Amino acid sequence: MAEPILEFDDVDIRYRTDGDDVRAVNGASFAIDEGDYFGLVGESGCGKSTIADSIVGGLDDNGEVVSGEIRFKGEQIQDYSESEFNENVRWKEVSVIPQSSMNSLDPVMKLSEQAVEMAKYHTDLSRPAALDRLRELFDVVGLSESRISDYPHQFSGGMQQRAIIAFALFLQPSLIIADEPTTALDVIMQDQIMDYINGLKDDWDVSMLLITHDISLVFENCDSMAVMHGGQIAETGTVDDVFDRPRHPYAILLQNAFPDVRFPDRELAVIDGHPPQLRDEVDFCTFADRCPWAEPACREGAPPATPVAGDDDHLAWCVRAGEMSELAANHLERSTESTSILEGGQ
Amino acid sequence: MSRLRYFARRTAVTAVLIFLVASALFLFFRLMPGDYTSLLIQQGMDPQQIEALRRKWGLAAPLHVQYVRYIVNLLTADVGQSFRYGEPVWDLVAPRILNSFVLVAPAITATYIIGGLFGAIMGRRRGGYLEKSGIITVSAFHSIPDFFLGIILIAVFSSTLGIFPTSGMLSTPTSIMIQDQPYWRRFLLPEFWKHYALPFATVMLYFMQYPALIMRNSVVEVSDQEFLHYHRLKGLPESTLLRKIIRHASLPVVTLYPISLAASISGLVLIEIVFNWPGIGSLLVSSVLARDFPVIQFVFLVAAVWVILGNFLVDLLYGVLDPRVSVSGSDGE
Amino acid sequence: MSDGAPVLELRSLEKHFDTTSGITETIRNRLVGEGPKLVRAVDDLNLTLAENQVQGVIGESGCGKTTLLRTIIGLYDPTGGEMRFHGRPTSEFTKDEWKEFRRHVQIVFQDPFNSLDPKFSVRRTLAEPLEIHGIDYDRTDIEEMLESVGLTPASQYIQQFPNQLSGGEKQRVAIARALITEPDVILADEPASMLDVSTQAEILNLLNELTDEFGVSMVYISHDLSTVSYICDHINVMYLGRIVEKAPTRALLADPKHPYTQALIRSIPIPDPHYDREQATIGGEPGDPIDMPEGCRFKNRCPERMDVCDETPLDVAPDGDGDREVACHLYYDHEERAGAEPKPAASDGGERP
Repeated sequence: MAEPILEFDDVDIRYRTDGDDVRAVNGASFAIDEGDYFGLVGESGCGKSTIADSIVGGLDDNGEVVSGEIRFKGEQIQDYSESEFNENVRWKEVSVIPQSSMNSLDPVMKLSEQAVEMAKYHTDLSRPAALDRLRELFDVVGLSESRISDYPHQFSGGMQQRAIIAFALFLQPSLIIADEPTTALDVIMQDQIMDYINGLKDDWDVSMLLITHDISLVFENCDSMAVMHGGQIAETGTVDDVFDRPRHPYAILLQNAFPDVRFPDRELAVIDGHPPQLRDEVDFCTFADRCPWAEPACREGAPPATPVAGDDDHLAWCVRAGEMSELAANHLERSTESTSILEGGQ
Repeated sequence: MSRLRYFARRTAVTAVLIFLVASALFLFFRLMPGDYTSLLIQQGMDPQQIEALRRKWGLAAPLHVQYVRYIVNLLTADVGQSFRYGEPVWDLVAPRILNSFVLVAPAITATYIIGGLFGAIMGRRRGGYLEKSGIITVSAFHSIPDFFLGIILIAVFSSTLGIFPTSGMLSTPTSIMIQDQPYWRRFLLPEFWKHYALPFATVMLYFMQYPALIMRNSVVEVSDQEFLHYHRLKGLPESTLLRKIIRHASLPVVTLYPISLAASISGLVLIEIVFNWPGIGSLLVSSVLARDFPVIQFVFLVAAVWVILGNFLVDLLYGVLDPRVSVSGSDGE
Repeated sequence: MSDGAPVLELRSLEKHFDTTSGITETIRNRLVGEGPKLVRAVDDLNLTLAENQVQGVIGESGCGKTTLLRTIIGLYDPTGGEMRFHGRPTSEFTKDEWKEFRRHVQIVFQDPFNSLDPKFSVRRTLAEPLEIHGIDYDRTDIEEMLESVGLTPASQYIQQFPNQLSGGEKQRVAIARALITEPDVILADEPASMLDVSTQAEILNLLNELTDEFGVSMVYISHDLSTVSYICDHINVMYLGRIVEKAPTRALLADPKHPYTQALIRSIPIPDPHYDREQATIGGEPGDPIDMPEGCRFKNRCPERMDVCDETPLDVAPDGDGDREVACHLYYDHEERAGAEPKPAASDGGERP
């Protein structure tokens, strides 16, 4: 794999409030290689959407990258102004498939007008050329070309989500951030949409940052991934690494908490407690209070990035990462013991 | 449903409404105790004369015949004669409608433009000093009864400071002077504007609350909408985003404008009386005091039509501004 | 009350909504002689809930599962069919019996953030149903219930208000509230779907334990087959108001019969990067409940579509397996059936005025 297209290097992000600041992201480091699909998994409030927002300058007014570097194609972008983001990043380079497609399309603008507007601010495409391009993209995502002049409310949820994907492709960006792209959809529709998103890999030469709470979507669609908990990255690596050799307790337990339709009899892992409120200096592991294997060292400093099996691309931010294969042995065995009840596959 | 069908439908509904109101008014006035002629009894007419009058005025005919005649007369713009002046009601009311309109339309329009802008600024600077003091100020003006607000203004600017005249639209000599000239001639006279200033200010201060507060809320709400965030991520410049915020946020304000215009007619009655402004509000009150039924009935009708047309305008505006209203979803869920 | 009859039984239950909008349309329909436009939200639905059983109902949004739940609880009057509670038809219930019914049939809602009254403390939330039903209680009853839903120590939670609780804790309170009247049946409306994964597992496990411990039966509705399979003994797959397939959980997952069930199962992502999932092949969007196709309602999306699908399929036992039922033309010999069963293409075609 080539150069990373996006790198996070020890990034801290804070939201200023009247009281204590909220330290939404702490010491986050990961990299997305060019052409890779990268999954960022975590529960609500873990900071994954904040990370997505920081890449396109979409943080709320009170949000700020306070330290670390965010590099897009080698260029530092964490201190970009609004207009620099508009010039250099937004949509031409990085486009977004937002979480709530239903509310993301301007309700009083025809879809065609929204596309023409994008073309106007970022390209020299003429109006007819922009419309042609939109028709082409509608075709790609499986929408009828004749419907480009519809208003968003004339589309069903699944169709709006496809239109949003078409918009994301409009300027042929090099990175697409998909923030929970299918959360609002039923499972069959979700599968179809993920199929389109997956198909882009072959035809569009694009990288993807897929943000989701659903670890199975990441395992199915991504090349590499990171697991987040309480504003910290817990573990990052290829999906095979994280699935086969998870070494952060949260990454281990999260996988076992996830229902798997192949094994309806398996006991689901329970993760007690909830992540801490990130109001004070985060110089400890935010998972320590929920972790069955926590020791005093976990609360004495932010956990160090520990390469797993000497692989610098598979990192676990855990002081006990080295011991995990013994400590969590019974949790790690799980996939071999039972056999799938589904037909086919494997 | 296409847009055209939506508009056609609204128009039809409006026409039906006006017809229903006219009919209801007819019925109310016939159901009131006594009829017009009973007023004359007090003035010492003998029964034969009264009966003759009743016949002459068509009050002896059965109700449904009267009703049909009433509707036909309405359609031919024949709305009867004033008891008090003996003139046709229309001739009496028409200039009054114009006078009221000259006061209310510009005042409400200005209120909405200035109030809307003020509200937008408050919404953009959420939590600031301007917002807090702005909310209190506009609310305070709306909390004072409109006629009292007028009296205060008169007390301050007319009685104490003597800048503006206390009442009327023009001084008597002037109004006699321009009697035969076209209506718009008065707009050229500084005297008219002096008379105009205080009632205009009263309407404006009193109604400022609606556009200002609604626009403020609306701007705050729209700024937090997902689609706006999406527009921003698409890399649209700040100025374009601001334009979009204003456009979306004005929706409720713009649609409230005709409603205020329509509703102001009730507030107008008292404001016109305080300033002795020769509009339909003051005409109504003096007619009620004089029991001039034909005038009262027609002014009621005018007021009702005023309100209905205002709402009609709202429907049309909404249909244009928000396609979700007039363009139905073909694949909605 | 226990006379061997199932706790809850639905026979050909129907709930139709009239979508005619406005008076003009009604008049027009009358003049033209058309019937009103109906949404057949629940149509000819049969379900038997035995004691200690957990029946899952799954389907996409708009399939009618929420309407079903509301009809069972009595929020909607069924348009047709029958509902029996311990063998007794609810249509014959007196007012007192309805009250009794409400005590014995409790509901757990999807959204723990809105289903608890923010002004009620945990104690009051649990006490309220007891007071409504005139059941004597003291503080220990409430504390015991809190402990059994895992809110320990109970004394710490009893005075708290919903805003002091996490999502999972709220849902535990909601479950405790449902269980405290000692119901026979719990109706669960996707109680885990709004929670985070780690909490979701907690609630699913809890429901599993509690239905065993309290001997209560449950109807669990959800759109998510993978969570349903952890809880339910039987699964009913619903599509546009009808149950198209019912089977014991394992049998249904391992060997789905109805093409829709097959598509549902194949669409579920598997949390395993090494697993190569065979993807569903159906297209299109979930059908429109207002404008449903005649015959089999799934036919327009079905990869196996045949001519006969224009007729409403019968519920048959596939491969002679008496435990399961599927409403699909693929699974029976039509000529043989036509001779044996006089009932023609069920309720769809005939009843239209």
